[in-house]
Amino acid sequence: MTLPTDQHTEGKKNVTFRVFRFNPQVDSKPYFDDYTIPVERGITVLRSLNYIKEHIDGSVSFRAFCQAGICGSCSMRVNGLSQLACTTQVWDVLAKSREPGIIKVEPLRNLPLIKDLIVDMDPLVGKMVHYSNWIDSTMPEAQMGKKEFLISEEEFLRYDKATDCILCASCVSECSILRANKEYVSPAVLLKSYRMSVDSRDSMHEQRMAELVKDHGVWDCTHCYRCQESCVKSIPIMDAIHGLREDAIESRGKNDTSGSKHAEAFMTDIEKKGKLIEATLPIRTNGVVWTLQNLLPMAMKMIMKRRTPLPPPLVKSVKGIKIFRTMFREMTEHVKQDQKSHKK
Amino acid sequence: MKRYAYYLSCINESMTKEVDRSIELWQKDLGIELVKLHEGTCCGGSNLEYVSPKHFALVNGRNIALAEKMGLDLIVSCNTCLMTIRTAKKKLDESPELKREINELLKKEGLEYRGTSEVRHLLWVLVDDVGLDTIREKVKVPLKNYRIAPFYGCHILRPSTVLGHDNPLDPTSLDQLIEALGGETIPYTHKNRCCGFHTLLVAEQESLNVAAEALQEAIESKADFIVTPCPLCHTSLDGYQAKALKNAGVENSIPVFHISEMIGLALGYSAKQLGIKRHIVC
Amino acid sequence: MKPFDIVIVGGGGAGLYAAMEAMKTNPALNIAVLSKVYPNRSHTSAAQGGANAALGNKAKDDTVEMHIFDTIKGSDYLADQDAVDVLCSEAPKIIRELENMGTPWSRLEDNTIAQRPFGGAGRPRCCYCSDKTGHTILQTLYEQCLRKGVIFFNEYFALNLSVSGSCSNGLIAMNMKTGKVEAFPAKTVILATGGYAKMYWNRSSNAAGNTGDGQAIAYRAGIPMKDMEFVQFHPTGLRKSGLLVTEGARGEGGYLLNKDGERFMARYAPEKMELGPRDLVSRSLETEILQGRGFDSPAGKYLHLDLTHLGADLIKSRLPQIREMSMNFEGVDPIEEPIPVRPTAHYSMGGIDTDNQTRTIMDGVYAAGECGCVSVHGANRLGGNSLLDILVFGRIAGRTAAEEAGKFRPGTISEAELNEQLQEVRGGMQASGRYERYGELREELGQTLALNVGIFRESSLLQKGIEDIAELKERFKKVRIFDTSDVFNTNLMQVLELKNMLDLAETVAAGAFAREESRGSHTRIDFPVRDDAKWHKHTLTTLVNGKVTLGEKPVTMGRYELQERTY
Repeated sequence: MTLPTDQHTEGKKNVTFRVFRFNPQVDSKPYFDDYTIPVERGITVLRSLNYIKEHIDGSVSFRAFCQAGICGSCSMRVNGLSQLACTTQVWDVLAKSREPGIIKVEPLRNLPLIKDLIVDMDPLVGKMVHYSNWIDSTMPEAQMGKKEFLISEEEFLRYDKATDCILCASCVSECSILRANKEYVSPAVLLKSYRMSVDSRDSMHEQRMAELVKDHGVWDCTHCYRCQESCVKSIPIMDAIHGLREDAIESRGKNDTSGSKHAEAFMTDIEKKGKLIEATLPIRTNGVVWTLQNLLPMAMKMIMKRRTPLPPPLVKSVKGIKIFRTMFREMTEHVKQDQKSHKK
Repeated sequence: MKRYAYYLSCINESMTKEVDRSIELWQKDLGIELVKLHEGTCCGGSNLEYVSPKHFALVNGRNIALAEKMGLDLIVSCNTCLMTIRTAKKKLDESPELKREINELLKKEGLEYRGTSEVRHLLWVLVDDVGLDTIREKVKVPLKNYRIAPFYGCHILRPSTVLGHDNPLDPTSLDQLIEALGGETIPYTHKNRCCGFHTLLVAEQESLNVAAEALQEAIESKADFIVTPCPLCHTSLDGYQAKALKNAGVENSIPVFHISEMIGLALGYSAKQLGIKRHIVC
Repeated sequence: MKPFDIVIVGGGGAGLYAAMEAMKTNPALNIAVLSKVYPNRSHTSAAQGGANAALGNKAKDDTVEMHIFDTIKGSDYLADQDAVDVLCSEAPKIIRELENMGTPWSRLEDNTIAQRPFGGAGRPRCCYCSDKTGHTILQTLYEQCLRKGVIFFNEYFALNLSVSGSCSNGLIAMNMKTGKVEAFPAKTVILATGGYAKMYWNRSSNAAGNTGDGQAIAYRAGIPMKDMEFVQFHPTGLRKSGLLVTEGARGEGGYLLNKDGERFMARYAPEKMELGPRDLVSRSLETEILQGRGFDSPAGKYLHLDLTHLGADLIKSRLPQIREMSMNFEGVDPIEEPIPVRPTAHYSMGGIDTDNQTRTIMDGVYAAGECGCVSVHGANRLGGNSLLDILVFGRIAGRTAAEEAGKFRPGTISEAELNEQLQEVRGGMQASGRYERYGELREELGQTLALNVGIFRESSLLQKGIEDIAELKERFKKVRIFDTSDVFNTNLMQVLELKNMLDLAETVAAGAFAREESRGSHTRIDFPVRDDAKWHKHTLTTLVNGKVTLGEKPVTMGRYELQERTY
């Protein structure tokens, strides 16, 4: 429900903005500065920061450009969550602040810090280049401008949401795997890769995919869904990542990488027993050598604690497996039919 | 006695047997009965969805249909199984065509997916159906003096379009349960973060780093233990703890419990009865 | 630094198209794009509505000629007809070219590029991608530039051209990450920095950075500005922030209502109603407000843009960004309630005087997009023609510079010159005693412009505006820069932007004061009619000996004779 417009200007609250500060020229480590200002309903975090910069401390540094939620410049962490300062209402944040009256403002994570709330976006651009986040048109350059590709609404809808991405890097900041390894492809780059790979005008699907299935690529995602949940444009980023994986298996086969083998194991086991055969999952994913090297000490501990999964022959099939298998296999036929008609 | 259909997660049948064993011990104490669904199959563990979206819908449509046949809601104690089955439910409810296709197959087994049973996490049942007041009343050994780090895990929270019980970035239900059991929750920024389980076999280093961060914060906050509603998080944080912390150069450890064990302890069952001795860290 | 063949200033639609086309024209050239923001942040992304092209996908009988006529008529006959010919004839080709490169246009049922009606157009010829057209075009261009390996200098703030006599030596710019003033010696420079409408500050829909940097640089280098007095007010800015609700909202069937619930456009444009040309619709809103038929609010008087009758489905599918903005910045869901709107400074028709090939009077310096003025928009731009302008003339600029780079020698830029610039820009850091705050000056500039050089103009108001600007320029000399660091000094950047706006504000006010007629977006209460005998000509404003000096240039006519402009 929306409030009557008059109420938007009613009342003011004193709000303390606890702003992350770091100037590499003089500071050996970051610190926080508190700025307390009166804020009325309807004011965004960005407008508050502008006010602080203009009236209290001109040295507070942050990026801002369109101030309308379209350019993606002012992404930062507000009370720990990555979002656009320009579309974030102060009173909304305040209602959920752990410390009453205090809003903590910090730079995005997972990108190198430049100063205060400003981080370096170059690594993200570098990854966009590395993963060919562009359409390499099937139409030769010399032919361009003469006629349109005919694109169905159905195809348009496949990448419509993905093209909403404004590269604000909120998802980059929230990504669990990037926290662990800065080399990881990044959610935004996976999203863009997906957007390109489902576009029928593109000619470099295979090359892009070949890069995506390598280390630090699409299979490293841990599906924590933080990217999707923090997306300022509400883009279902995980759908795109799943789409790429589906595509990887379809175009490169199930034995392509440890990621695809791992995923495929679920399919095989469910058909066979209705249950996952966990004991051999590491071997099927990464082979015997890897498993022995990486999991043997653990396995010993597990055995001591009787935590080891049952060996395959002892895994009991679920009740009614026979009839289940018939259904499962019949579905496999459906899928084959679908693929045939899709190819047509 | 309120009855529910109980989904058997693969991992609870193998590596984390103590979860189901604990639930069996105390379910009647809290006035609930979880009827095990032995015909249920593996949900596909957030993988099947992109290997074959249609098999994914069939398998989980069937899992839900089994509960529907009993006229009961389907209760899950593994976050990923929960998220996976609920995702399938959402897809089926949104696509009459897909629903028709799987129902055509389910006929063979005399099953039909109708969309009448809810798919819920054990934690939600405890907080919403049993109720915190009842839980408070039934506590025999309050967890007072324990500082507990609530680790929700991802798939009980996100995607919020599929889960929708707690605020995905600021959840509270597990904190409430801990408090009802007499424990003290610590402010824990990793409460809604990832345990790393799903990349353990594909990107091990990254996975261990993710787990180490969560463990470190709990250790540094002087928590007595971590509690999680998910056996996968448990496996990552307990089973791989030594390796993760060694990697991160931390010489310390912290026990990790599943909620079913924590409840068992508060209701007066022994660590032995609950199978806590089977944990790697205990 | 190694001298460049082409340095492009600005990474929006015009700059990126120029870069691509220059590389295509001559792959051997050494080309750089310099931008004060990452290119994908550029204001092109804010253009929601679409780009006009007579593809004939929606209306089979649409023609380039009709597009030409609509544009000329829309310009109130101040556009150069040969330039409009170029704009409209190139349009179908460039839209298809973008499509061929991957721009995700919305589609019609026959799978061709979708088109919708737009203000002042005789046929539905505005090509769009829901309401994110500019954003998707910018993405496509940026992606293609990355594909082609264009060299980007991101977050560099352009300070000035280095000039020897009538020739440019290249560009001087500040690296925001280090605070260093760096030389970009170049054979050619393309200025493509966008518009200057942000000088109206809170009464502007523009991004904070649309401060006319390129125009100010050219102006200080002695290059004439053209038609600066023509600033387009978009009829539907959000009441509080000035942010824009695209014309697409009216294209899809939205109503404009006054406080009596009346569709007041019936009074001003009985046939086209809400889809009349922008200047007319803006004046209509302002008149309704002035005559007391607006709503009152602490944030000022306003009117209603009502979409409620369009239904939730249409609003969600076709106008999602508008809905989001109304909710984020006004707290209003357009599915349930009308949106509070009032006119907002939106687009600058004026800019650096160029010929049809984007050349300025200075050898080796070109300007394109909103930064330049060819002129194709004359006294008033039609909706859907600005994206088209940046694409068509961005491309021409790239091609022309690539072809002509060989004619010029890269000049040298001395250390002394760089040092001088550095001292100058950092001067404000030494300010002592009584000082001025840039925020206040900026605010006051916006206020005086909106009040005195706004939608309705008049001799004494303009005189006041000119005096105010002069006073602000004086006060600016004492402006204080509080951040003294080298690394990413946004305080310094905002002061430099304010300087650019102040320099240009003078030309806007001077042009408006001189032009004693009403034409297109320029409405003089004291001279309410178009005066072709005296004023059918372009205004030039040039900086001579530190003073704005007025000049003129004839309008190029063609097939279309002057007519009265009615809708």
